[in-house]
Amino acid sequence: MPPTKKSVVSRSSAGQAVFDTINREKRFRNPPADKTAFPALQDAIKPHVDSWNAVFREGGCLHQAIQDIGEKTVFDKLDGNEETGYGNKLTIRIANYYLGKSMLSSRDKTAMKREIYPAECRERHVSYRGQLQLELHYKVNNGEWQKEYRDCGLLPLMVMGNRCHLEGMSPKELVEHKEESEELGGYFICSGNEKLIRMLIVNRRNYAMAVVRSSYAKRGPSYTNMGIQIRCVRPDQSSMTNVIHYLTDGNITFRFSWRKREYLVPVMMILKALVDTNDREIFEGIVGLDQREDTFLTDRVELLLRTYKTYGLYSRYETLAYLGDKFRIVMQVSPDVSDVEVGKLFLRKIVLVHLQNDGDKFRQLLFMIKKLYSLVAGTCAADNVDAAQHQEILLGGFLYAQILKEKIEEYLFNIRSQIRSDLMGGVKVEFNSPQYMRKMLGKVNERIGESLHYFLSTGNLSSPSGLDLQQTTGFTVVAEKLNFYRYISHFRMVHRGSFFAQLKTTTVRKLLPESWGFLCPVHTPDGSPCGLLNHLAHKCQVATTTSDCSHIGPLVLTLGVHSAKVLPVPAEATLSVQLDGKILGWCSPRDARRVADCLRFYKVEGTHNVPKDLEVGYVPVSNCGQYPGIYLFSQEARMIRPVKYIPLDKEDFVGPFEQPFLNIAVTDPEIKSGDTHVEFDPTNILSIVANMTPFSDFNQSPRNMYQCQMGKQTMGTPGTAIRHRTDNKMYRLQTGQSPVVRAPLYNTYGLDNFPNGMNAVVAVIAYTGYDMDDAMIINKSAHERGFGYGTVYKTEKYDLAEKSKSKVPQLAFGYGWAPIGADQQTLAKFKAMRDKYSGTIDDTDGLPMVGQKVVEGDPIAVYHNMGTGETFFFKYKSSEDAYIEEVRVLGNDVGDTICQAISVKFRITRSPVIGDKFSSRHGQKGVCSQKWPAVDMPFSESGMQPDVIINPHAFPSRMTIGMFVESMAGKAGALHGFAQDSTPFKFNETHTAVDYFGHQLRAAGYNYYGNEPMYSGITGQEFHADIYLGVVYYQRLRHMVNDKYQVRSTGPVDSRTRQPVKGRKRMGGLRIGEMERDSLLAHGTAFLVQDRLLNCSDYHQTWVCRGCGSFLATTPIVTAERRAEVRCRRCAVRATEFDVGAKGYWEDGLGNRYLGGDNTTVVVIPYVLKYLDVELLAMGIQMKYDVSP
Amino acid sequence: MDGFDMIDSGTDGPSVTIRKAEASHADFVLSNVDLAFANSIRRIILAEVPTLAIDLVEVISNSSVLPDELLSHRLGLIPLDSTNIDDKLLYTRDCDCDGYCERCSVVLTLVAKCTGDQNVTVYARDLAVAAGAQLGNPVITDEAQKGSIICKLRKGQELNLKCIAKKGIAKEHAKWQPCAAVAFEYDPWNKLKHVDYWYETDAKAEWPKSANAGWEEPPLENEPFDYNAVPGKFYMDVETVGSLPPDEILRQGVKYLQEKLANVIAGVQKTAGATGTAASADGDINGMEDGYGGARSPDMGDANGYGRNFNDGYVTPYGGAGGGGAGAQTPFGGYGGGGYSNGW
Repeated sequence: MPPTKKSVVSRSSAGQAVFDTINREKRFRNPPADKTAFPALQDAIKPHVDSWNAVFREGGCLHQAIQDIGEKTVFDKLDGNEETGYGNKLTIRIANYYLGKSMLSSRDKTAMKREIYPAECRERHVSYRGQLQLELHYKVNNGEWQKEYRDCGLLPLMVMGNRCHLEGMSPKELVEHKEESEELGGYFICSGNEKLIRMLIVNRRNYAMAVVRSSYAKRGPSYTNMGIQIRCVRPDQSSMTNVIHYLTDGNITFRFSWRKREYLVPVMMILKALVDTNDREIFEGIVGLDQREDTFLTDRVELLLRTYKTYGLYSRYETLAYLGDKFRIVMQVSPDVSDVEVGKLFLRKIVLVHLQNDGDKFRQLLFMIKKLYSLVAGTCAADNVDAAQHQEILLGGFLYAQILKEKIEEYLFNIRSQIRSDLMGGVKVEFNSPQYMRKMLGKVNERIGESLHYFLSTGNLSSPSGLDLQQTTGFTVVAEKLNFYRYISHFRMVHRGSFFAQLKTTTVRKLLPESWGFLCPVHTPDGSPCGLLNHLAHKCQVATTTSDCSHIGPLVLTLGVHSAKVLPVPAEATLSVQLDGKILGWCSPRDARRVADCLRFYKVEGTHNVPKDLEVGYVPVSNCGQYPGIYLFSQEARMIRPVKYIPLDKEDFVGPFEQPFLNIAVTDPEIKSGDTHVEFDPTNILSIVANMTPFSDFNQSPRNMYQCQMGKQTMGTPGTAIRHRTDNKMYRLQTGQSPVVRAPLYNTYGLDNFPNGMNAVVAVIAYTGYDMDDAMIINKSAHERGFGYGTVYKTEKYDLAEKSKSKVPQLAFGYGWAPIGADQQTLAKFKAMRDKYSGTIDDTDGLPMVGQKVVEGDPIAVYHNMGTGETFFFKYKSSEDAYIEEVRVLGNDVGDTICQAISVKFRITRSPVIGDKFSSRHGQKGVCSQKWPAVDMPFSESGMQPDVIINPHAFPSRMTIGMFVESMAGKAGALHGFAQDSTPFKFNETHTAVDYFGHQLRAAGYNYYGNEPMYSGITGQEFHADIYLGVVYYQRLRHMVNDKYQVRSTGPVDSRTRQPVKGRKRMGGLRIGEMERDSLLAHGTAFLVQDRLLNCSDYHQTWVCRGCGSFLATTPIVTAERRAEVRCRRCAVRATEFDVGAKGYWEDGLGNRYLGGDNTTVVVIPYVLKYLDVELLAMGIQMKYDVSP
Repeated sequence: MDGFDMIDSGTDGPSVTIRKAEASHADFVLSNVDLAFANSIRRIILAEVPTLAIDLVEVISNSSVLPDELLSHRLGLIPLDSTNIDDKLLYTRDCDCDGYCERCSVVLTLVAKCTGDQNVTVYARDLAVAAGAQLGNPVITDEAQKGSIICKLRKGQELNLKCIAKKGIAKEHAKWQPCAAVAFEYDPWNKLKHVDYWYETDAKAEWPKSANAGWEEPPLENEPFDYNAVPGKFYMDVETVGSLPPDEILRQGVKYLQEKLANVIAGVQKTAGATGTAASADGDINGMEDGYGGARSPDMGDANGYGRNFNDGYVTPYGGAGGGGAGAQTPFGGYGGGGYSNGW
């Protein structure tokens, strides 16, 4: 029997540390036609795409938002009142919306394929948008609803969202549509740039948080720093924050903000308005049966009830009417609505908006009061707003929906104001006439799409309400495709908000244990955004849908919870059970644990209709800790992560609220009694990028942070569809390799498609002196064979429409013509011009030729004025030589005008030079200081010469032991021909990495610890010490000396001061500032000081009058014999005709005659001194100089 | 005693023991030479033995995905047959021609086009050497006789390149390197104590025995350290890239070493003959004048120029020293005119 052939390796290398080159190559050649090979990548950007889909799906957030906006009314009588009537009433509402895919405009009548794909938008530098249409309904008085469809502009679409052509495409189809095979989407295309709305941390929704904040005391007299804050979120994901404040006298006020203004209402008024109630019910709702003896509480509640009596409002009806009267103007309600209705609207739109039922609102408000008194009494602690426990994530799609909702509402308001301005302007307003309506609607600003486009391209929020957010700028970022790590990081990035960036305190930046497993502890930048800009741990997900929790309420009642609606509540039932901020019932502390455990068991088991991502936050009774209770959360925007539930050995999803009260073991051996959960993998707490640092557990922690930064600055492979991209600047490493040492996640995330560095043979040795202070030496031969060879692509758009003033094209590409009847000379000039530029410009169309080299000043494209025939050029401006890589001819959207714009992609070769920055994957960056000849490099006995030499002093203080381990692992992997697993936390004290890799090295005939005897390349003598030699993956960073060097001998000067200008771009100089000058003075280098500050700066020689000490009074004399002399006009006296020819006689340029003033001389001054003199003169101040000798 | 004495006068001169010789590498023991000589051989064969490599590429058309410069770089690194190059080719710089000619270069052409649906891979074998060239065939050692991959072409893409291969040495660019690596070892038992083998617990367990250890006697127990001993036996392994056979590399290496030494000797003799006994002293002074003499202020260029240079220090392009002298014209000459127009 013939030996059976070994079966082919598994389809995917996910989760294995193997090279898997052949499969990668196969996948690359034939992208899978069914589904992606890297689902983990899709999961990584899921929060973005899913939140978009949640908004725009049938019955999604936007539909709910439209319902929430409701109807607006307007009357055709301006000064109507109750007696005279208001006139005809027009009611308007938005009934529905339609959002189309990106399609060609209907003005284009010829095209057969009408879809516009994202790649086209990128290449044409336009936006990826779809038509938004609103179904406007209006009715006059109580007539029939009339329908009107209004086009509201083009709305930017999310790539891969449910309005994108690419949604659900297989890698094969994606490649056919000029995308990456692993195109992820989740971003918008704005003017060719990929923009994404970054995730923002906001307060946890529907949870009454006890807050102690000094700013609360500033709300008014007798306000204290204590309050309860609840961020209520409507089903359409828009939010409203309510706060109740504690006053020093024990009273409580309710605060909210409406259209950026704050309002304070006595909390009793809200309570009384919500339901028909009495003081006893309120008292019992706040003071539990067990608290009747607690005089602290009873005193305050009594006061609360007593002080409210001053308002004299007793029934619910009275209270509503009172509220309605006060808030009628604020809420912009139409005049025909009764005060009571306005009061109800107030409650619906402002008070605890996450709840629909007034009874629920009443109970929640009572609970908040209870909690506030408890906070004041000190029986519960304040909740930490900075902890992940009390935070959730505002997702891009939801923010987009909120803005859209507001714009739609604004649209309705605009219609109302348009009708009013028509009325005021004397236009005949006829609601029943379709002509009027159409004409009126035509005047209303309907460009909703544009305002969203503005939001995306600038990141600025222009909103009347502020959307309950603390910032108005910086919501969007460009998803830079510098390399894939950077790209993917953008989608995992979570920002705390730019408001916190200004805070002087650092408490918000602290890494708190609550964020364990949700936010990566390593992956945050150092410097100003440190701790504010975090990244999600790679297994962390964000919920984007509300789970069905309709069964939870009845279920908890069966578990022994006392229903909230049944009064009185038993004395021992002191803990509330809440689901998404709705009080389901009360239970005793003893039962609470059982209820929580049951719910968790059910949800993991999948029984009793308990959804798997339900968050069961059981806060046990503690001594002055967090306010106890059971808090269930099922809604969107929560961070959740998978861990193993030990009792069932199944996957459970936990959220940050419940996590502090769960016992989660990190590894299986660590499980001890009482632990309910165990992590699937300890690396789950790290972000994608942090997971790529090999052996990061061996490194000092800041080094891992640095690597996360540097990994994102690496000149790597931005993508495989580079040909179809026109990013402003793109870096590409041409000789990238797959790392020998990698974590299995490297394969899971398909990062081999985007190599980010090179495996280099690295010797740790102080060899030449050129490797001091983090410099590194590169083997010249390695460099010549392509080590670190990179390319920069720059795209420039040349637009003729910007050059011409009129809307009709005046300019066209190509050479112009000589004017008719031109002479031979002009014609020859034209021909000469064409011949001269034929090197770079195509003669026929005036566009650049692909592959051609251009240097500074070369023409890129030629265009002419179609009227005059005059010829102009676009010139290449950069000082760096480039090659023309691609030329795109851009038409307009409809394709009905002649070509007015081209986009040229330049290729700039960037072979490594001295001064370029490199780094290993351990935060060990260095600058190339020499390209050392290979023969002079040290070599090992087998003749190996290192590609890179680094100095051993780079290690003791930085303690990047991981780099040593990587070096050993890489060497062993290269010798044996396999990839090495570098997952952190795999080794321990008994099973050490050194032994593991040492054995491999020994087996290959090398020293156990990775050392080798080496010989000097210059003398051939063996070094006294053996050298640590291994293979380390090196990254080339994008900071290149060619972009940074700044030299100048002479150059441009400022016209006012004649001092050198500043700035690299303008060929400016580097300033010798005061401190630099001080050190030069301290060294006694007077000559150098003079040279720098005078001779090489604004050196100036000028005439000065010794007599009066003035620069400005000197003037040259005009004499027949052209003698160059300068006299002082101030010291001279007017001469008469008789003095002509006398001693000291002179004339100035105007023919005025003078005598004397010849005591002048030339001095050297800095030119600014003269400038100062003139400025002072303008103020009427004279400067006088003593000139001696 | 120095190396020359040993090589010239000793009865047992340098000897080479060839342990293994194959087409692509030669493993040998070089003995009875001193370290400097052995290392010189190593350095010369690594960096100074000339070979042939593509140096210029004239791109007639390239519509492949690789940009011109990258393609040229790849072509340059392809080893070309360079046997007896010294007899066949001149360095371009020594040749009378402008640019290149057949006496100093070999022209290879690469014409490839993909017309079918299947992608075409262009290999080194597709490089066609101009008829009549005596060398310059791409080195092909793989079983399939294809050579290294240059580029891949998709349907419709084509390459039309004229490659000019020139003679050169690896000192200038790694593409002219005849050897991939030269193994070099002496004193496998560390009798000379040149190296201090570091160990954690046990040197014997941690350090592998050298493969060459069998060629020398292990040190005896308690053998006294011979501080006069010098390395004399060198274990070398020359691994080629294929452009030259190892023996030719070595022979060429010796030849170029001799040439270099001859140059030095000739230089020394010439200097000694020309200036007699004072040669060395003059040489130093001349050295100063060449600008290698140590740090000097740039202002102090020569004795009589001191004053002038000093003044020149004040000269700036904006109102230089000359301007002061002709002050009437320059700074004030144009009130209301050109002189102040760029000022305020």
